[in-house]
Amino acid sequence: MIEYKGVSTTYEDSFRALDKIDLHVKEGEFVSLVGPSGAGKSTLLRLLTRELIPDEGQVLVDGVNLADLSGGDIPLLRRKIGMIFQDFKLLSNKNAFENVAFALEVCGAPVEDIEADVPKVLGIVGLNTKVKSFPHQMSGGEKQRLAIARALIHRPKIILADEPTGNLDMVNSYDVVKLLLKINELGTTVILATHNDKIVNSIGRRVISMDSGRIVRDQVEEGKYIL
Amino acid sequence: MNPVRSLARDKVASPKDLGGATSYGMKESLKRIWSTGWTNFKRNSYLSLGTTGVMVLVLLLFSALIAINFLSLKVVTSLQEKVDITAYFKPDATEEEIMKIKEDIDELEEVVRVEYISREQALEGFKANHAGDVLIQESLAELGSNPLQASLNIKATETSQYSAIVTYLEANKFRSLIDKINFYENEQVISRVESISTGLQNWGFILTMALALVAVLVTFNTIRLTIFNQRQEIEIMKLVGGSSWHIKAPFLVEGGLYGMFAAVVTLVIFYPVVYLVSPKMEMLMPNASLMGYFGSNAFQYIILVFSAGILLGVASSTIAIRRFLKV
Repeated sequence: MIEYKGVSTTYEDSFRALDKIDLHVKEGEFVSLVGPSGAGKSTLLRLLTRELIPDEGQVLVDGVNLADLSGGDIPLLRRKIGMIFQDFKLLSNKNAFENVAFALEVCGAPVEDIEADVPKVLGIVGLNTKVKSFPHQMSGGEKQRLAIARALIHRPKIILADEPTGNLDMVNSYDVVKLLLKINELGTTVILATHNDKIVNSIGRRVISMDSGRIVRDQVEEGKYIL
Repeated sequence: MNPVRSLARDKVASPKDLGGATSYGMKESLKRIWSTGWTNFKRNSYLSLGTTGVMVLVLLLFSALIAINFLSLKVVTSLQEKVDITAYFKPDATEEEIMKIKEDIDELEEVVRVEYISREQALEGFKANHAGDVLIQESLAELGSNPLQASLNIKATETSQYSAIVTYLEANKFRSLIDKINFYENEQVISRVESISTGLQNWGFILTMALALVAVLVTFNTIRLTIFNQRQEIEIMKLVGGSSWHIKAPFLVEGGLYGMFAAVVTLVIFYPVVYLVSPKMEMLMPNASLMGYFGSNAFQYIILVFSAGILLGVASSTIAIRRFLKV
């Protein structure tokens, strides 16, 4: 489903973030990406959303080279991928309902569908009492669950979570990971980039360790946090 | 189908993936864009207030420029109205000959009017003007005959055309009947009036353009700062799959709303100010009624202020948002 073929990426300041990465992620997999800061985890994810184009190699989703996508196709690709970030990236001037609804509006969904689907998804992440709350009126855990609801709303095939527990305490972190596992059980491919060893060790799925832009270890089953 | 389009169109989440729902129409889309723009305008109240305030200043500046242009035009016109030339005829020139010259001059395009003043009319006028001056009245009585000359008073459409009219007169076959033309005495005054008129018009135009440019830049930068404040929101919208148009359109609506509200506030401030200032200006320049001007052209002025406000807001938003859409 997702394939990196000899991918290298260098930033404008000549920092080589990825160095000849070869990786294949199958449909429905749950993959944890671990490694120190600057190892290339976030860069790997940003290539999938076409925020970046590799200098060398190809990034393929369902056999399509993402570098070939036109400007008009990029939004359509992003609607296929749900994203969760460490800093939540919520729209501060929109309430919980509107934050989730926006992701549907950009897909062109009719009002009736938005009004039916958004409360359901907010219910799944346990935010049915916070529908009218704005992000600044919510706790860190609630904000992240709202971000997950937004990522889920258009039933994406892939969920990318970049340090989703970075700003959360352990209880909220486990809640978020439980949600991600539940989403994965329903068939969605999940890629989780994290520093949190306890979380990774509790998941017990594929773990890919990165360092200096390279994959240094790939534990396909029952992986542990090893650098 | 091209595999890239296939990935982008068929396999990505689309309304179909949401249970066969159909995509919403143009009307629904416009309604959504309008509602998002209006909501953003209301929720960013401080930013909206600041931006609208700056645009009010810009529109007031535009209005002041219109008023200044109107007043300077009035000054130029009244100065030009005071300038004319007179050709004086020798005593032996007959009325018939003078009328012939008058007809010739009347045919010139540059001439607005030619007025014939006979010797008798000139004398009556002179007497009337000096009715209280005993010395002059006595001198005239002593002379016994009419010492004044018949004349043609000529008014041109533009002050710059007097020299051409004089040249024409001097080349006329009846030139010998003309005693003198007061153009040469008035030449300096005429050229001074002309240079003041041209200066006022040219500098007025340059000043208007310069201030208009400053106004546009101020508006553009204010809106740019407003959008800059929302750059993270724009980035998020891009990352959740918002198309450029879907993101941009509410900002354009917001820009238009700044302009619309600024136009309303400008009108509410401007008309009372004109109402108060107009009588004072009329004391200085009796023919220049600002209230009369903005009253009789109210419809055009209101349309102009609204169009300028909305256009400035929308155009500034369009330019300002472009760089933030590159995510």
